[in-house]
Amino acid sequence: MPRLIGPVVLIGLWTCTSSLIPSWPSPWRVGGLLAANLQDPVFQAALAGSARRMVVGYALVVVLGITLGLLLGRFRFLDQLMGSLAVATHAIPGAAWVPLAILWFGLTERAVIFTILLGAVGIVVVQTDTGIRDVPPILVRAARTMGAKGLKYFWFVVVPAAIPKMVDGLRLAWAFGWRALMAGELLTSVSGLGQLLNQVAKAGAVDQLLAIMLLIALIGIAVDGLIFKRLEHAVRVRWGLN
Amino acid sequence: MRVELQHVYKAFRQNDQTVPVLQDISLTVEQGEFVCLLGPTGCGKSTVVNLIAGLEKADTGQVLVNGQPVTGPGPRRVVVFQDAALFPWLTVMGNVEFGLRMAGVSKSQRHTAAMAYIKLVHLSKFAHAYPHQLSGGMRQRVAIARGLVMQPDILLMDEPFGALDAQTRAILQQELMGIWQKTGCSILFVTHNVREATGLADRVYVISSRPGRIKNVEAIRVPRPRDAAHAALAGHQQRIIASLGEEIEKVMKDELGEAIHFAPTDRPGGADRSVDLHL
Repeated sequence: MPRLIGPVVLIGLWTCTSSLIPSWPSPWRVGGLLAANLQDPVFQAALAGSARRMVVGYALVVVLGITLGLLLGRFRFLDQLMGSLAVATHAIPGAAWVPLAILWFGLTERAVIFTILLGAVGIVVVQTDTGIRDVPPILVRAARTMGAKGLKYFWFVVVPAAIPKMVDGLRLAWAFGWRALMAGELLTSVSGLGQLLNQVAKAGAVDQLLAIMLLIALIGIAVDGLIFKRLEHAVRVRWGLN
Repeated sequence: MRVELQHVYKAFRQNDQTVPVLQDISLTVEQGEFVCLLGPTGCGKSTVVNLIAGLEKADTGQVLVNGQPVTGPGPRRVVVFQDAALFPWLTVMGNVEFGLRMAGVSKSQRHTAAMAYIKLVHLSKFAHAYPHQLSGGMRQRVAIARGLVMQPDILLMDEPFGALDAQTRAILQQELMGIWQKTGCSILFVTHNVREATGLADRVYVISSRPGRIKNVEAIRVPRPRDAAHAALAGHQQRIIASLGEEIEKVMKDELGEAIHFAPTDRPGGADRSVDLHL
């Protein structure tokens, strides 16, 4: 119940302010627009486009991020060679990759996916690498005395021990990727929610702008809450971290 | 099978200083023997375990198993740690069969073997539970099964019941006795509890603190199952406490920075022989 207080207060404030400022649409109007939009084929196509790019981009982030993270964690020389590169990538906001993406791929879908990848992969690499280096020493000792070594040791002890950190990375990567997707679509005008933002802003439709932003926020919250929070919680419970 | 430490010296570096931890330690564990290392916190008991397990190396002196020097960790010398150290992502079954899996034993064989040891520690109903679903005592049972399934030459137990409540501890001590008698494996058991040591061991090595030296050895020939009220046990306990009394004062002075006179008989309930050296 207390979790509902925040949203209720927010909607209340929004309603009050919108009744005072004529150009500021009420939450009910924005909500209604959002519901209507969801029936609109153009809007649906934009939503589907964004979803497709996000799925492809995120899949690449997961596969490349974890693979690179495991390699960096396993081989010290690779970490020395590429570790700082991963950290640097992670330090660059997703939106800052868009110009380079456009230079390389033009105003295309691939440019957007590239933006998601570079905007989100760094954190996965860094977290996986860290997880592999931070295996609890007591588990290392237990494994060693039971004869674990080499690749088996890495695969059956080090990798599972790193999973909580990996999941942290994947959760953050989702948020970073979602932001990068919007930035990419805004700037490349590939059809999607980001591009719709651009269009309605140019047309001066504040209510539509807010409706789309509300949807972007809701999708972000829903995916995080329904998938990543649950996953993280389940992992933390099993790994005894709660 | 015989585990032997010969004149072992071990020091750690701490802030550019060499701090000796073990000084001239010589001890043996014969085949099938139950040996306790008893001493105050910080006396280097765990270091002895680590040396035999091959997790650390002696600076001088030798650690021998069957006359062969120990060169590294291996499944013939398994450790049961104070906080179980189970793999949280594996079930009880997964944990117990872990060592066999590392050794490349086939799935059906290791399942059968693991199940036998899970039964031995009375956890059949929990074979598919995860460590976070188990109590502290149950986790230690898993750790014991996980070690025994390797049929090790020696089971090294580093204060395995130290974190448990008195009742659970008493039950597990009793069960460990049964398991030891059933399997006939050698056990080196580290504790700072005098009653625990005298209740379990064939021999108790009393270790002094900083650096750890062997202060005396008590051979306990009281037949098992041992009655806590046995007169001979009381004699052993008194001798151990007397020899440790000055040690306890030394440790307290080290930790608190002032001298404290401590004699076990001064303690409230001094008649209780369960003297815990954990400070």
